[in-house]
Amino acid sequence: MSTAATGTVTAVEPPAGSPLHRIGWHWRHNPKRELWLAWWTIVAFYQLYVLVFFVLTRTQPPPSPGWDAARVVQWFNHNHDGVLIGFAIIFLITGMTAPPNALIAYSMRRMSVSRVFAYTYLVLYSLSAIPGMLLMCIVLTVGAMRPDRNANLISWLYDFAFLSFEGTMGVFLIGSLVWMVAILIDKNRVFPKWFGYLNLCNALTEVVVSPAWIFKRGVFAWNGLIAWWIDMVVFAVYTGVFIVLLRKMIQREDFGTGPLPDAARPLDLDLSEWAETAR
Amino acid sequence: MTDPVAKEPMAENREKSAEFVPGQPDMWAFVMFEALVFASYFVVYMIFRTRSPELYLQSQARLDLRIGVVETLVLLMSSWSMARCVKASRAGAFRSALTNALFTVLFGVVFLVAKVFEWARVIRMGFGLSTNEFFSHYFFLTGIHFLHLLIGFIVLGVVVYQLWSPGRRSQELIETGATYWHTVDFLWVLIFALLYVVR
Repeated sequence: MSTAATGTVTAVEPPAGSPLHRIGWHWRHNPKRELWLAWWTIVAFYQLYVLVFFVLTRTQPPPSPGWDAARVVQWFNHNHDGVLIGFAIIFLITGMTAPPNALIAYSMRRMSVSRVFAYTYLVLYSLSAIPGMLLMCIVLTVGAMRPDRNANLISWLYDFAFLSFEGTMGVFLIGSLVWMVAILIDKNRVFPKWFGYLNLCNALTEVVVSPAWIFKRGVFAWNGLIAWWIDMVVFAVYTGVFIVLLRKMIQREDFGTGPLPDAARPLDLDLSEWAETAR
Repeated sequence: MTDPVAKEPMAENREKSAEFVPGQPDMWAFVMFEALVFASYFVVYMIFRTRSPELYLQSQARLDLRIGVVETLVLLMSSWSMARCVKASRAGAFRSALTNALFTVLFGVVFLVAKVFEWARVIRMGFGLSTNEFFSHYFFLTGIHFLHLLIGFIVLGVVVYQLWSPGRRSQELIETGATYWHTVDFLWVLIFALLYVVR
């Protein structure tokens, strides 16, 4: 693993020049290109996520669960275009949720733990996207596409959409715990242990949101101070932290099986050798 | 693969940090974060309490302060035995440490039983999660604390596992577990003060 020990090091520096030229060089030569692609997909996905859910569809922060049918129909009418455009974007980019999950599973494959962790996480988080995101997009799109239907039916769709989106966060709970255990027992130092514990904080918020099924107003409703706002702050911190830590992991990645180096190294391996180990 | 020269500063750092906090510093990051999250729950509770103080006072009066006091004392006893466990383990008295860790488990179980008993009593009196705002907060705060305590049993399991065999006995892990347990205890004291005592 140690480059000093191999004796066959060829220092390779990315060429200077225009950003496009450098990106092109990395695209052809950087053995971490798939990892970086997955990482940039996370960054791009969450930007689009904020744009769609917070700006276009106005589904985040969530509207009130206590509205009567007439007010819900009014909400659909008011957000008709935003819902259709926003969720059309989501249907197009849903596939972007796969590379982040794959990268997180990769982080567990890089650890000294069983592959079962990575596979479990991958399956859990792939399935979780259905109740955790897609159902709401489909159901609200249905409501926006059929404005002529009975107001009670539209109201039912509204409840269905937001309860599936906000109320089923528990499906992410086990995934977070799987990642946590993997980090805590890992000996390759892929992530700091405090991030393992932060996974527990995130997992606990998935429990905190569950009273949203019962309450139609107040702090525990799906738009409540505790069930939504505080949970969202924890989730935002958690997401921001893991995006940064995944970036550091890619920088430190040496394609070995032992402990990950503490600091990022330049591309100082012979490229063919590196590409070989990457395979 | 391994570079002993590069490892030395890390070990040194770990020793340095151990001087400041017991156990893994990472657990203290968790403690700080959870303290912030709970502090925000408390702030929300206090804000809503000031909006309808009468309702909160009347509902609060329906709780049995004696049960709350007993629960608090039991949990403080569990923290005391946990502290004795860490002290004994530091001194190399692992048998005594193990006994104290098991006492901590016992006190934890007593707390859980008392809590379930109290919930059953409150529910029998006709108060549930959605009866009114106070009881929503009451069931939420005590429930989320209960969950932390259940996780605490896994943590105590790790501590007992470490103490069980001479081949393990990681002082760092034992102190990390103790840090978690004390945090759960500390959070309960705050919850007790807010829900039962503050008028």
